Amino acid sequence: MTRRILSGVLGVVIAFVVGALIMLIEGFEPLATYGALAQFSLGGIGPLATTLKNSVPLVLTGLSAAIAFASGPVNLGQPGQLVFGALAATLGGLYISLPPMLEIPLLLLFAIAGGALWSGLAGLLKQAFDMSEFIVTLMLNMIADFFTAWAIAYPFMDRKAFSPMTPPIAQSGWMPDIGPLSSSVLLMLAAVAVMWFVFQRWRAGYEWRITGQNSLFARLGGCDVRGNFMAVMLVTGALAGLAGGLVVMGGPHRFIKGLGANYAWDGIMIAIMANNGLIETLIYGVFVAAIQTGALGMELITNVPSEIAQVLQAVLVLVIVATREYAVVVFDRLAARHQAKERTT
Amino acid sequence: MNIVIGLITGMIAGATPILLAALGGTLTFYAGIFNIAMEGMMLMAAFAAVLGSFLFHSWVVGVLFAIAGAMILALIFIFFSVTLDTDEFVTGIALNLFAVGSTTYLLRQIFKVKGVFTSKLIDSIPNIHIPLIEEIPLLGPVVSGRNLIVYLAVIATIFCYYLVFKTRFGLRLRAAGYNPNSLDSSGVRTSQMRIYSLLLCAVFCGLAGAFLSLGYVTLFAENMTAGRGWISLAAIILVDGHPYGIALISLLFGFFDGLGLFLQNYGVSSQFTSMVPYIATLVALYVYARRNRERERSTL
Repeated sequence: MTRRILSGVLGVVIAFVVGALIMLIEGFEPLATYGALAQFSLGGIGPLATTLKNSVPLVLTGLSAAIAFASGPVNLGQPGQLVFGALAATLGGLYISLPPMLEIPLLLLFAIAGGALWSGLAGLLKQAFDMSEFIVTLMLNMIADFFTAWAIAYPFMDRKAFSPMTPPIAQSGWMPDIGPLSSSVLLMLAAVAVMWFVFQRWRAGYEWRITGQNSLFARLGGCDVRGNFMAVMLVTGALAGLAGGLVVMGGPHRFIKGLGANYAWDGIMIAIMANNGLIETLIYGVFVAAIQTGALGMELITNVPSEIAQVLQAVLVLVIVATREYAVVVFDRLAARHQAKERTT
Repeated sequence: MNIVIGLITGMIAGATPILLAALGGTLTFYAGIFNIAMEGMMLMAAFAAVLGSFLFHSWVVGVLFAIAGAMILALIFIFFSVTLDTDEFVTGIALNLFAVGSTTYLLRQIFKVKGVFTSKLIDSIPNIHIPLIEEIPLLGPVVSGRNLIVYLAVIATIFCYYLVFKTRFGLRLRAAGYNPNSLDSSGVRTSQMRIYSLLLCAVFCGLAGAFLSLGYVTLFAENMTAGRGWISLAAIILVDGHPYGIALISLLFGFFDGLGLFLQNYGVSSQFTSMVPYIATLVALYVYARRNRERERSTL
C-alpha cells in the first residue's frame, strides 16, 4: 500500500518536473504557471466546487474504464456510451416534464439506459459473433459521434441557435446546486461508493475480478464467464451514460455540438493512471479535473495557453505508469539486497 | 463513366493513408509489439508536414518533418515500452492522447489559431502525370495523375512484403514476435528488432500523415486523422498482417470512404455517409470472426 502511494506521488512529481521543463523550453515561468493552476482549481470554495463539478464526467468514465479493464472486457467505448447517455437524457428532458423529484431520476435512468444500450450492442456482437470488443467499441465511438451530430443538426435542432444544438431540457430536469456545490458531485460519490461495494464486497464483483485476472480459473471455478462479460459491459456502459446525462443536466442543459469531446478519453487515461483501482480513480479524476479547471483560469493571468493541460495530462499518464512499473523493479531489487545482507551476517 | 473514375480515384485517395499506416503497423505486429500508436503518429506527422511545408515552402521539407514528427513519438514509445517495459497498450493510448494534446497546443502556439490551419504558403505534394499511360482511355486517368505518395504506397506494399518474407531482417523480425527467447539465444537481440520495427513504422506513418495534410487536403485540422489509425489496426488484424492483404482491405475501406462522399451528392446527410467506413470495418470484423470460427471447427 505504501509502495503504491509512494510510486504514485513520485510519478506525479516527475511528471510536474517534465511539465516544467516543457514550459521552460517554451519560455514560460513554471512556478508562476503552477501557482495560477492551483489557485484557480483549489484556492477557495468557488474554484474547489468547480473542480469537483468538472471531475464528475472524468471520474464516472474513469470508473467505467477501470471496472472494465479489471474485469477483462477491453471496453474503450466510453466516448460513444457517454454521448448516447447524454442524448437519451436530453431527449427525455425535451419531451417529458414532471416535477423535479420524478424528472431527475427519470432522466438519469434514460442516460444509464442510453449508455448501456450502446455498450450492450458491443457486448452482443462479441457474444454472438465473437467480434473483438476492442475494435468494435472504437468503431461504435465514431458511429455514435456522427449519429449524435446528426441528431442535433436535423431532427432535434434548436432552430434559434447558430450552431447545432438541441433546445434546453425541461427546467425540472436540471441538477440543483446545494450551496456552491453541484448535486451531481454527490451523485458521483454515491456511484463510486456503490461500485466499490459491488466490486470489492459482492459476489458478482468478486467473480468479475477473478475473471479479469484469470478467466480460465474463473470458468473452472464455476463462474458464468459469458454472463459476467455481458454484465460488465452493461454496467460500464451505464456508468459512461450516466456521466453523459450529468454533463447535460448539470451543465449546458442541452446537447451542444462537441459535448463529449474529451471527457471519456480522459476517463480512460485516469483509469490507466489509477491502475484500475476504484478509489484511486476518484483521486486521480479530481486531480486531473483540477489541472483542467486551473488551466482555464491560468490562461487569463499568464500567457500559457490552456491546451498545455492536455500535454501535461499525457505526460502525467506516461510518467505515472512508467514510474509505477519501474518502482516495482527497484523495490524488489532493494528487498533482495536487504535479504542478501541479512543472510551474510 | 466519370462517376466510375471518380469513385475509383476517391477509393485510392481514401485507401492510401490507411494502407501506409497499416504497413507500418504490420512491421511492429510481426515484431511482437501491440502497437496502437499509429493514430497518434499519423496525427503528429500531419501537423509536422504542414509546419515544415509552411516554413520552408517546400513539400519535400514537409515530408521530412512529417517523418521526424512520427519518429519523435516512436522514440517515446521505444523509451517507455522497450526500455522501461511499460505496458504497450497503455503507452499507445497515452501517446495517442499526447499527439492530440500537443498538436492542438502547438497549433495554437505556432499558428495562433484554433481548429483548422490553412495557408497559401503551404506547398502541397504534387500529383504525378505519367506521359504515355495518361493517354490510354479509362486506365489513364486512374493510373496517372495520382499523388506522389500514392505511388510510394504501392512501392511500400511490395517493399514490405519482400522485407518481411524474403530477407534475413524480415526473418529476424518475425522471430522477434513468434519466439523472442529463441531469437535472443541465437544472438540477435529481440529488443533491437522491436526498436527497428517501431522506427520503420514511424517512417510509414509519417508518409501517411503527410499525405493527409499535404496531399488529400492542404491544411491541418485538430484530430484530422479521425480514427484512420484504428481502422489500419483493424486492417492488420483482419489479414494477420500480410502486406498484400492489407492493400486489399485498405482499398475496400477506401471504396467505402469514397462511396460516403459520393452519396452526399444524393442528399444523404454527411453524418451518415461519414459512418460508412466504420460500419464497413464492423462488417469486415464480422466476416473475419466467422471465418476464424469455421477454421477452428474444421481443425477439431
